[in-house]
Amino acid sequence: MTNTEDIFDLSRRTFIGGTAAFAGLSLLGAQPQKQKGKVPAKGKGKAQPPAPEPPQSAAWETPSGDATPAVLVRRLFLDLAGRIPTVAEAKEFVNSKDASKRLKLVEKLLDADSFADYWSMRFCDILRVKSEFPINLWPNAVYVYHRRIRSFVKDDEPWDAFTRALLTSSGSDFRDAEANFFRATARRTPEGMAEVAALTFLGEEYAELPEAKQKEYAKYFGRVRVKNTREWKEEIVYLDPSDPSGPTPAAFADYLLGPAREKFASAFVQRVDWWMLGLEKPLPEHVEIFKKNGFRLKPLVRAIALSKAYGRGSVTGGFPCRRIDAEVLDDMLCDLTGAKRDFQSIAPEPFTFLPPERRSILIEDGSITSAFLLLFGRPARDSGHLSERHNEVTAKQRLFLYNSGKLFQQIGRITDSRGFRNRAMRDIVHDLYWRFLSRPASPSEEKMLLAHFNGLPKGNEKWRFPKDVAWSLLNTREFLYQH
Amino acid sequence: MSAKSVIELWLWGGPSQLETFDPKPNASPDYNNGLKAIDTVVPGMQVHEWWPNLAKCTNLCSFIRSMTHPHFGHETATYLMQTGRNPGGGDVYPAIGAVVAMMKSKTYSGDLPPFVILTGAKGRFSEVGFLGDQYAPLVTGGNPNTQKFVVDGFVPPGGLSQKEIERRFDLLSRIDNFGKPEAFGEFIETGKKARHVIEGGAARTFDLSQETNEMRDRYGRTWIGQSLLAARRLVEFGVPYITVNMSGWDSHKRHFETMKQRTADTDKAIAALLCDLHERKLLDQTILWVSGEFGRTTKVDRDPPWNGGRNHYPRCFSALVAGGGFRGGCVVGESDETASKVVKRPVSPVDFLGSIYELCGIDPDGPMPNNVGKKLTILPPESSEGRLREIYA
Repeated sequence: MTNTEDIFDLSRRTFIGGTAAFAGLSLLGAQPQKQKGKVPAKGKGKAQPPAPEPPQSAAWETPSGDATPAVLVRRLFLDLAGRIPTVAEAKEFVNSKDASKRLKLVEKLLDADSFADYWSMRFCDILRVKSEFPINLWPNAVYVYHRRIRSFVKDDEPWDAFTRALLTSSGSDFRDAEANFFRATARRTPEGMAEVAALTFLGEEYAELPEAKQKEYAKYFGRVRVKNTREWKEEIVYLDPSDPSGPTPAAFADYLLGPAREKFASAFVQRVDWWMLGLEKPLPEHVEIFKKNGFRLKPLVRAIALSKAYGRGSVTGGFPCRRIDAEVLDDMLCDLTGAKRDFQSIAPEPFTFLPPERRSILIEDGSITSAFLLLFGRPARDSGHLSERHNEVTAKQRLFLYNSGKLFQQIGRITDSRGFRNRAMRDIVHDLYWRFLSRPASPSEEKMLLAHFNGLPKGNEKWRFPKDVAWSLLNTREFLYQH
Repeated sequence: MSAKSVIELWLWGGPSQLETFDPKPNASPDYNNGLKAIDTVVPGMQVHEWWPNLAKCTNLCSFIRSMTHPHFGHETATYLMQTGRNPGGGDVYPAIGAVVAMMKSKTYSGDLPPFVILTGAKGRFSEVGFLGDQYAPLVTGGNPNTQKFVVDGFVPPGGLSQKEIERRFDLLSRIDNFGKPEAFGEFIETGKKARHVIEGGAARTFDLSQETNEMRDRYGRTWIGQSLLAARRLVEFGVPYITVNMSGWDSHKRHFETMKQRTADTDKAIAALLCDLHERKLLDQTILWVSGEFGRTTKVDRDPPWNGGRNHYPRCFSALVAGGGFRGGCVVGESDETASKVVKRPVSPVDFLGSIYELCGIDPDGPMPNNVGKKLTILPPESSEGRLREIYA
């Protein structure tokens, strides 16, 4: 047993060292930079005699149940960039001895455009950004509104200020982006607007509120009107001037940021905790972090990404596995195989055509979709509920991944190229593992695969082996789940 | 006994009631363009002259000539005809196909999904609405009227032999070693199901080459003919709901040229399906319904840019129902002399869909499961005119 412990030592040093750097970083919003360089360096391990192979679980978890660097780098990229790391990015992180590599990676990912791309997709789900039925924002407004939501994420604007902007804006849906909040409702009535406002800002189900509360909320929106202009699908949002003393959405904003402040913060954190940790209820300490940091998204995401809970393994360590989002999975497969996306915009006319290179997380309009995105449960953006995203696994999805002729052909474009094949099978196998799973094959996996390869009859099947390995990898739970 | 399967032939765009099931041979050419109606095997039940094959089997189906609703736009009309709901509420309801699929999956255990669409989705709204992904339709893609109709995902690509497929799955099972399998129940279960489809007979359901040439000719070597033949094979397999989405009925311009060509293929295909289901003793347990989202304006628009066209018209249009507890040889409702107005027994989409649900053994007033946390019913209450009980068998 001592020998096995020592084998782990190498991986543990990098990782546990990394964790130690953040052990002092309480969840309560301490400045992570201060912790830099405080890690006590551990002495180099002595050379050991050949040891028995580590168990397969060592690929994913340390004996104490924390995630390995390979798992962590994949997890951080999936959550903060909406994709898996490239081979170079994964290797850099896994091989780095830098004690603060986790912090550095989180900072880098938070600053990157991909963070804004991916997280604005999530906020567009909540804010129901789509052209068509039943929201009917129509294309011009969709693009204007999406751009505004993206800048909220990119510039890390405070959620309370952005909320106020959404609730107090008026004007043209083409020019006054925030005014689209009132238009992005299935029912443009005071009750319909109150329903989405209650859900968006307080996480409340309007239908379950007491009737008095429903009436009170609806009153705030009683004066909001929308009128057409002579421009196609341009609409003006304004307040009915006939009763200037009546309540306004601005008063609802006062209510949110005043008496309902606690609930307002919780509703925001609840979504972030759901996205990153799969939690149904927000953690009180995360709500504190959010409030202390001026209602900003990035400090909250940073704190979660650096927390102990987030660094746990998912086999025994308690980190929840979830099937990867439709858009992210689409981008992963396209990045890996060079497959082309096939977007459809059946309505509205005029049709919008998106180039197949466009990343799926970057589709502004919830009405533009593809067979793949439909199959994997992209949200309809009809109501803004988190439950609109269907991340369950279905037999239809499995059939597609097993049998799609297009996908299999695309895999061949990597594995059948001369440059790729012109190597020892051992190197090919490790390369594929890095590409698909962000880690090398474990010693037992390597042994098993090479034995399998050697046992195949000469001919087609032997030649196809790298392709079959790649096909197998993209059909594994390790590939399809965020873990 | 309630119906086991439903075939929905959706005539996307809105076919004209005059050139289908409600011909008006005595109206002026401004309305009927000088075209005639023909007698059918059921005395007094005429059909437009472009439906000679259907005329031979009207004893198997019934016409509704008094469909009516207020929506002139494709999206809103389709939503109403598919869900029985007016658009604009906060909730997006599922189409009837997803609801039947959900309710029937308690008793259906086939390897194919309970809701199959040939060959493309409607697209303008999500057919599954707020129901879970498991009731989303399998959209086949492809064209049944080709030498080899392949539904992507059902047959392993690359011409692998059975042995090779097995060895590849063996390789996958060794590579797929992550975590504790018992923590991935859904993944393991769906994987088993998918393999069962690949290795079992389900994939062959789509293989039309299993049919004789005579049978394929009988349905017509057209997209609609072979799609309805595929639908019949799916019924035999037990799939609860099959939608055939046929586009091309939105004939604002060149209406009569378009209709003549569309009806020729469709007439042959529907007649073949009705007789085939009847001969196989499947018609009693299978509902066929044929409709679009609305009908078309009745006075021919001869001015440019229409040059002989018909536009959207929901106030009075026609539908066809057959089998599964609907009697044949009946006509429900009546329109005025130009098919512009319902004069007898209006049928709303809610009552129309309610009848199909009821014959499927699904209570239209029963609760609709949903993930939006609300108490919803499958349909709004039926109208005072009521469901189509006069043609229940």
